[in-house]
Parts: sequence; structure tokens; C-alpha cells
Amino acid sequence: MASIEITSPHRPRTLPSLRQIAESAFPIIAIYFLMWVVYGLVEPSALSLYSIEALFNNSLPLMLAAAGATFVILQGGFDLSVAGVISLANVVVAVMPMEGPLGGVANLAMVVAIGLLVGAVNGFVVAYLRIQAIAATLATMIMCKGAALLILKAPGGFVSDFMAYELTASFFGIVPIAGVIAVAIMLFWAVFRSTNTGRSLIAVGQDENAAALSGIDVARTRFTSFLWAGAFYGAAGYMLAAQTSTGNPNGGDPFLLLSFAAVALGGTAFGGGRGGVTASLFGAATLMLMQKVLFAVGVSSFYTGVVQGAIMILAVLFSAFVLAVTRQRKSR
Amino acid sequence: MMQENEIMSDATMDIEDKRSSARISGEFVTVVMIFGLTIAMILASRAISPAFGSWSQAETILYLGSFLVFCAFGQGLVILVRGLDLSIASVITLGGVLTASLMNGSNEGLFYLVPAILGACVLVGTISGIGVAYFRIPPFIMTMAVGLIVYSLCLGFTQGTPRGYPAPFLSGFMQAKFLSIPAPIYLLLVFVIIGTVLQSYSAFGRKLNAVGNNPLAAYIAGLPSGLLIVSAYAVSALCAGFTGMMLAGYANGATLRMGDSYLLPSIAAVVVGGSSILGGQGNFVGTVGGALLLTTLATILTALGFEQGWKTIMEGGVILIALIALRDESFAFLREQFRKRG
Amino acid sequence: MNFFKTARAVALAALLGTGAHAVSTNEASAKTADGKWLIYLSLSYSGNSWQSEAANIVKALAATPPFSDTVELVEVISGTDPQAQISDYESMIAKGADGIVSFPISSTALNRVVKRACDAGVLMFMYDATVTEQCAYNISYITSGFGENTAQALVNALKGKGKIFLSRGVPGNSVDDRHTNGAMHIFNQYPGIEVVAEYYSYWDDRTTQQETAKALASHPDVDGIWAQAGEFGAIQALQQANPDRLVPITGENSNGFRLALANPDYQKIGIDGVSAGSPPAQSGFAFKIMMEILNGKRDALPEGQRNIEYPLPWVPGAAVKLCEGDAFENGCNAFPEGKVPSSFVTEVFNPELLPELSLASALEGKPTPGAEIQPLPADAVKAAPNEPGINCRKCDAPADLYHLTKVEATVKP
Repeated sequence: MASIEITSPHRPRTLPSLRQIAESAFPIIAIYFLMWVVYGLVEPSALSLYSIEALFNNSLPLMLAAAGATFVILQGGFDLSVAGVISLANVVVAVMPMEGPLGGVANLAMVVAIGLLVGAVNGFVVAYLRIQAIAATLATMIMCKGAALLILKAPGGFVSDFMAYELTASFFGIVPIAGVIAVAIMLFWAVFRSTNTGRSLIAVGQDENAAALSGIDVARTRFTSFLWAGAFYGAAGYMLAAQTSTGNPNGGDPFLLLSFAAVALGGTAFGGGRGGVTASLFGAATLMLMQKVLFAVGVSSFYTGVVQGAIMILAVLFSAFVLAVTRQRKSR
Repeated sequence: MMQENEIMSDATMDIEDKRSSARISGEFVTVVMIFGLTIAMILASRAISPAFGSWSQAETILYLGSFLVFCAFGQGLVILVRGLDLSIASVITLGGVLTASLMNGSNEGLFYLVPAILGACVLVGTISGIGVAYFRIPPFIMTMAVGLIVYSLCLGFTQGTPRGYPAPFLSGFMQAKFLSIPAPIYLLLVFVIIGTVLQSYSAFGRKLNAVGNNPLAAYIAGLPSGLLIVSAYAVSALCAGFTGMMLAGYANGATLRMGDSYLLPSIAAVVVGGSSILGGQGNFVGTVGGALLLTTLATILTALGFEQGWKTIMEGGVILIALIALRDESFAFLREQFRKRG
Repeated sequence: MNFFKTARAVALAALLGTGAHAVSTNEASAKTADGKWLIYLSLSYSGNSWQSEAANIVKALAATPPFSDTVELVEVISGTDPQAQISDYESMIAKGADGIVSFPISSTALNRVVKRACDAGVLMFMYDATVTEQCAYNISYITSGFGENTAQALVNALKGKGKIFLSRGVPGNSVDDRHTNGAMHIFNQYPGIEVVAEYYSYWDDRTTQQETAKALASHPDVDGIWAQAGEFGAIQALQQANPDRLVPITGENSNGFRLALANPDYQKIGIDGVSAGSPPAQSGFAFKIMMEILNGKRDALPEGQRNIEYPLPWVPGAAVKLCEGDAFENGCNAFPEGKVPSSFVTEVFNPELLPELSLASALEGKPTPGAEIQPLPADAVKAAPNEPGINCRKCDAPADLYHLTKVEATVKP
């Protein structure tokens, strides 16, 4: 919802300070660790290395999907193609498995290329033909799902041992690779944010006209955001294949709403201009952790959804509350 | 874009006014084009099957499309105020499940059960609306969470097995024919007229438009923005509940996933029909056209002998082509012609 | 922690004089603190009555003596997202489950966590849907030839000639794929059979009704319908389009469908067919096998031979018989209208394998008063053939995969 309040005038655009980054992702990080505390208390076995590794592996595909969606949402767009691209990437990896680390890289390159291609179509249609993003990406999502069905009629295929076992393991037996990938994305975002592309992205989301006046190519920025999104979705489908060691033509379906929920939980504004990838990563991790906590607390199975829904609302309210408090403090 | 509106001064609002008058003719052309496209598709489908292109096919499309039209109206109002209602699927299920279990195959108590069931749905929508309007929860997450909660309650309430039957009056109405045309088609007609008046020609609709167009200006003008937003969500839930009730009548029972296939199509129908997801633009007749276009497409695809993958690709392709064909720029030429004559 | 748990369980067992259980089995003997087996019931929820009936059967059995004293059953619903079920399986393993009886959401995506559960000594029992991981037990009718047998029955009813619809399940699903392949194997032999429309009904009555109505718009002159679950919706659509005409139709086990097949008024205007397909009773069968293994009354099967076939229910129109009581007695196989919803899946009972159940078990998960768990007959467990992608990964299907078991071709191709 667009806020009716009259917000403070734009701050001068310099490199964002660490504090600003922390501020934007802070509430969701707090929620995430709070949940860990609850989970660890209720279920002491949760803190075992294996449990943590499994949880990271389980969360990574959604984290990647949410990260991708963030690029588009930040500039004020919307991208439903996430479900289609993940399915498509997932089945492509499963029907063309390539052995060894090099094979793994080749597979990754393939699906990222697919993601970029779909992203380019989305970007062109949305940014240059000026079709509404939600409808255009709905159409490309449906088309990708069709293509996935053509490639694989039913779940199956094989995933190389490298992807299935090495990529889902831990470095030195203690640092889950999935966690390392997540941290790498956060670092990438911290750098990306302060590049010209990153700044343009947020500027377009904040105020399209002002961005255009300050010399930013709005259409190109939009187009690029879809490219980034597509690449991340491709990677999400890739990690989904690694984690499940199989391909599924419907594999992307659950990601459609979940990835947006993750972005929203992270506090990124729909409509653009505020938020970031790091927050979305934590939003996704929180959603997956929630499944664990619900199980540990033993919520009656029929009513799991009630608790899930309530937690989502409360988490967003909490974020808003924290933001309001920090803002007030600053103004003093 | 929202910010663009927020910082708009009076001067730019004047410009906005001119644009919107130009837009009306644009909207008109969109509507004509959508219906034209739909009818062309029906006629062209004759090549696929001789039974196509007939009145009975049109009847099927109107009948099955009516469910989508009902819930798309509510979705359209929410989109008009810059929101999105993802709880539609669950509220349809709620309406259907309550209809089947409370009516329990009897006409008795119909006069208070119908308002009670729809009232329960309105309550759900009101909660979503309050969350969005007063607690500033993003519509996406608010309606998704409320949808989850409602679905879960339906699951628990029915213990996984929805029981009972709708009132015979309701299922009878869905089967009935009047002058050899199915009764629900008349209902659709009445609904479209009421919906159009409500959205485009009533004070309520104009206020919603104003809130969607420029929340700040609406606020300054003294419109009760919060209340209007809540009512949009409430109407959306009312429509979804009504859809569920009609679906239960059509199928003589309810299932827990009866609403699933309406969520994305309801959004697509609104957007294909020329409304902007950014709010403040669009009319119901366009949405009706969008809904009928999507239903026609599905009907034709069913009859095609291709592999499912290809059919799915074609479905997405046709939607994309329709969007490109219906975009404003494509009409620039037509609109010029239109203006000259006008 | 674990040591304490085990020690306490053993002590309790000894106290109660039921130590025999623990001694006679090599399987996991970890039990909950109160000395019960910890069993998880892990469900998907596609939201139809089938799922809840299957779950209720297990719940009812677990509440029937002596299981009521020896089993702690925890129900977990994982929705439709494989990621969520993976997460839940992991949690169950961490909680020290003795067994998991489950409807798997994906035939392949769960393999890794299933393997891990097996390695941790958890008995994994899948019902209806299957996983291709060989350490899990698959108790399923899928290999029993639903597709080919019903297709042949439809061809017979149509005398080898006519336009038909295929009302399928969920696109991209292994079960739907298997059924349809079997059916097409038969239909392709008959040049007179023409598939004029093929649509996905998501195993749901309402969706089937709407999709069938769409198909009827292009082919009002259809001669027959081959349907998967949701078949009753197809009849409703036919009636809506033309109340005076029905066609031969094969489908699954909904009570509404069985009643329609047996309805003399419907038979007069053309209905004919057979009710077969997925029985919810599979869940109960799976649960009982698992408990017998846990209790040491049955030997665990070697890995690679854990695919168990549940017999295909087969009820042609002429064989439909209404039940007077609350169970399948005297060969009855359907319930009178009004007693259960039309979408109720009738095959919840099996007088030989699951004599403990009654209607209340299926509808509410309650045990039948006075019932006790009966041992499974000696010949109950029948191996299922290998089917790649269904119950094994790198394996070959038998050459006669689609041979007919329930019906013979009465018309030559």
C-alpha cells in the first residue's frame, strides 16, 4: 500500500552506510534469530550440525528465488515467472546431468542462461512494450511451465553426484555450503547496492520521474532487473535439483507465493524503492525455519495454516514497529 | 509511480484530469477490442470442431465464465485501490463449504443462511482490509496470510471432508433454464450491470477511483480513505463468497480446493481487461471481457489435440499476445480515428 | 537422552511383561517415554475426501486395541510443497520416530531424506503414492493396472468405436502419467477409438465437472469418458449439458459414481462402466504391515523387494451393491445416498485386510467399538512389479507391464 504519510525528503545519495544496510534488514534478522532461540529451546537436537546443514539446504532454493524477485520488486515491478523458470531450470538439470565439478558449473551456466533468456523476454515486454509486469510475467510463467512439461512429463531424471552430494555438504564438515552461498549473495548485494546499476534500481523504484530527470535510463534499469531476477531463479531451480536430486516439472509451483511472502517479510516495499536482497534472504530463511518451529511446538495439524498466517502478519507488524522506533530515535 | 502521484501538485493534477478523459476513450476501445477478440476466437474455433462457433458454445463460456466474472469484480475493486487480494481462493472455498454444510440439502432457513454465509465472508474481507488500511500491512502478505488462515479453518471445520449439499433451490437455480437460456446467464447479466454502475457510475466507485488514483489528494479532499479501502476488500470477499456459493450450487457440493483455479485468473482477467495494477484505472466491463477471453481460450485449448506442454505454452502465448495487442500504444492510431469522428 | 529413553522404555516393557516385543525384533526399539511406539502420519493435503479418509483409517487403527496402548500416533500435514514435507521428515527423524507412514508429495524429491530416515532406523511406509528410494516400503495400487484395465472396459462398452474424453489428474505427476500410459496402450490398439479431448481435472470433482463441460462444448456428441478420480463431476457435466443422455464412463471409487452406475434410470439413458482406482484403505494396510514388523511378528523385507501391491478394486455397474450397515458386509460396496457425501471414496474397507474398520473410522477416525487388531492373512503381502519412475529409479519394467488383469478384450482391435 502506498503510504499516505508524507515521508522525509530524499536523503542525499552517497554510499549507503553499514548502519543503513543493517537498518533495512535488521527487523527480519532479529525475527530470524528469535525463532532460532525458540526452536533451539523446544528442540535441542535442532542445534546439531546435521540439522543446521539440512535446514540450510532446504532453505537455499527459496532464498535464491526471493533474492531474484527482490531485484524486480525494488524497481517497482512484479515477477510471477519465478515458478516457471524454477520448474524449467529444475527439469533441464535433471535431463542433462553432467558429472564432476566442471559438469556442475556447466549445468549452472545452462540454467542461468535460461533464466536470463526468460528475464530478457520479461524485461523487454515490461520495460519497452510497457505491458503490466504482473500480467506479462504470468504469461511467461505459464509458457515456462509448458516447456518444463515438454522436457519432462513426470518427476524423474538424474542429478550428478557432484550436485547431489558435494553441493549439499559442508566445508570441512562444519560450514554448510548452502550457508556459504547465502553469505556470498549478501556480500554481493552489499557491493551491488553501491554500484551505478544498484543505485539506479532503487532510484527508479523510489521515483521514476526523478530518476529519469537525473539521467537514469529507466527502461534499461527495468530490463536489467528482470535479467538479474531470471538468473537467480535459474540458480534456485539448480539448487532445488541438487537438494532433491531429481527434476520435477511442477517443482517451481510452491515458490510462486512463498518467494513473494519472503520478500514482503524482509520488509521490501511492493511498489519499489525500499528494501534489499539481504532482507529477502532472511525472509526466506525465516519462512523455512517457521516450518521447523511449528513442528517442534506441535501445532495441531489441521490448524497449522492459522499459525503460519498469524506469524506472517505479526512478523510484518514487528518489522514496521522496529522501523518506526529507530526512525523516532534518529529524529531526536 | 506511487510516489509520482504522492508529490503531485495541483497543476499536475489538472494534467492528470485531461489524461483521464483521454483514457475513457482508450478504455472504451480496450473493451471493444477484448470482446472483438473473444468473438473472433469463438468464430475461428469452428475450424477445430464443428460444434464450436455455435450458440451452445457461447452459452457454456458465459456459464463457466460467470464464476470468474463474479470473483474478478471484487479483485478489480481491490486492484483499483492499489491492492491485491490473494485470499480469493480460500474465501471461495469458505463460501462453498459453508453453503454445503449449513444448508445441508434443505431450503429451510435459506433467507437467513445466505446473508449469514456471505456475512462470514465479508468479515474475512474486512479483516484483510483493516490490516491493509490501518496497520499498513502490505496487501500481498495480509491477504495471503488471511487466505492461509481461512483455508486452514475450512480444513479443520470439515476435518478434511466437506459434507452436505446446498439448498435444492440453489442447485435448482443453477440447472434451470429460462426461455431456453440457463438462468445463471441472466444472473451474470444483472451482476455485470450492477457491477458497472457500482464501479464507474456511483459515488462509491468514484471515491474508490479517487483513492486509487491519488491517495494523498483523496486524503486532503477529506475522503475516508481507510474506510473505502476496507470496503473494497469487504466487497471482494463478498464476491468470492458468492462465487463459492454459486459453485456449490453448480456442483451440488463443495470441495476444499474449489477456489484454487480462480486466484491467478481473477488477477489476469482484471489486468487483461485494461485495469492498471497500480490502481485508479479500469472498468468492470473490461474485466468481464478479460474473464470471457480467458474462459474461451481454456475451452478451445481443451479441444486441441496437442500435448499438454504445447497447450500450456499456447495458453501463455495467447495471453501475452492479447496483452501486447491491447496495450495503449496499439490503440494510439485507433484512438486518433475515434477522436476525429467524435 | 536417547539412552535414557531406551532404558526407560525397556524397563517399562519389562515391568508390563511385554518385553517379548523388544526381544523378538531387531528393528529399532526406541520408544517414547511412556513406552509406546512413536509413529508419524505424514500427509499431503490436496484437500479432497480421499486424503482425510486415508488419514482417518490410520487414526482409527491406532486407536483400536491393542495399538491404542502401544502406539503414539502424531499427525502432520505438510501441504502440497515437497520442501515442507522434507523439512517435516527431518524433524520426525530428529524426534526419534520409530516409523513414518506417509502419503509422499513427490515420487522422487523425498528420496534423500527417506534414505536418511532408513539409515536412522526409521521404518518408512508410503501409501498410494510412492517414492523411488528402495529402502522405503511402497504400498500402492498404482502398479495394479488401473489405466489399461479401465481403458479396455471402456473400449468393450463402446464396442471398439467412438469419440472419447480423457479426464486426467495433475499435469507432470507420475501417477497420472502411469495411468494414462496404460490407458493409451489400449486405446492406441483400436483405430475406431478417437480421443477428442484431453484435460486435467486435478482429481477433483468440481474441476472435473467444469473441464468436462468445456470439452462438451466442442464435442457434445462424445461417446465415452475415461476418467481418473473426480469422475462424478463428469456425470454431473453430462447431465447439465443434456439430461436425457449419458455415456459409458470409467472412473475411480466415489460413492456418487457407484450409485450412478447402479441407477436404473441412468442405465436406460446410456451409462455403463466400471469403478476402480485408488483405495484409501492402502493407508491402513501399510500401517498394519509396519506395526507387524515393529512388533516382530513379521520379518522386514530385504531392500529392493519392498514394493507391495494393493489389489485393484474392480466394480462394474452390475456388481454395485448397497451396504445396509456401516461396513462392507456380504459383498456390498457402496453406501445409500445421504449416508455419505457423493465424493466419499467407498474403498475404505477391506474385509480381509482391515476387518477392524467401520464407517465412523473412515469419516471421523474413530475406532469401531469392540474391534481388535487382527493379524494380516499370511498371503496378504504381494510384491509389486518394478516400474521405473514409480517405485524404482534405475530398473526395467516387466515386458508385460500393461497386461490386463481384470477384464478381457471382448472386441478385436
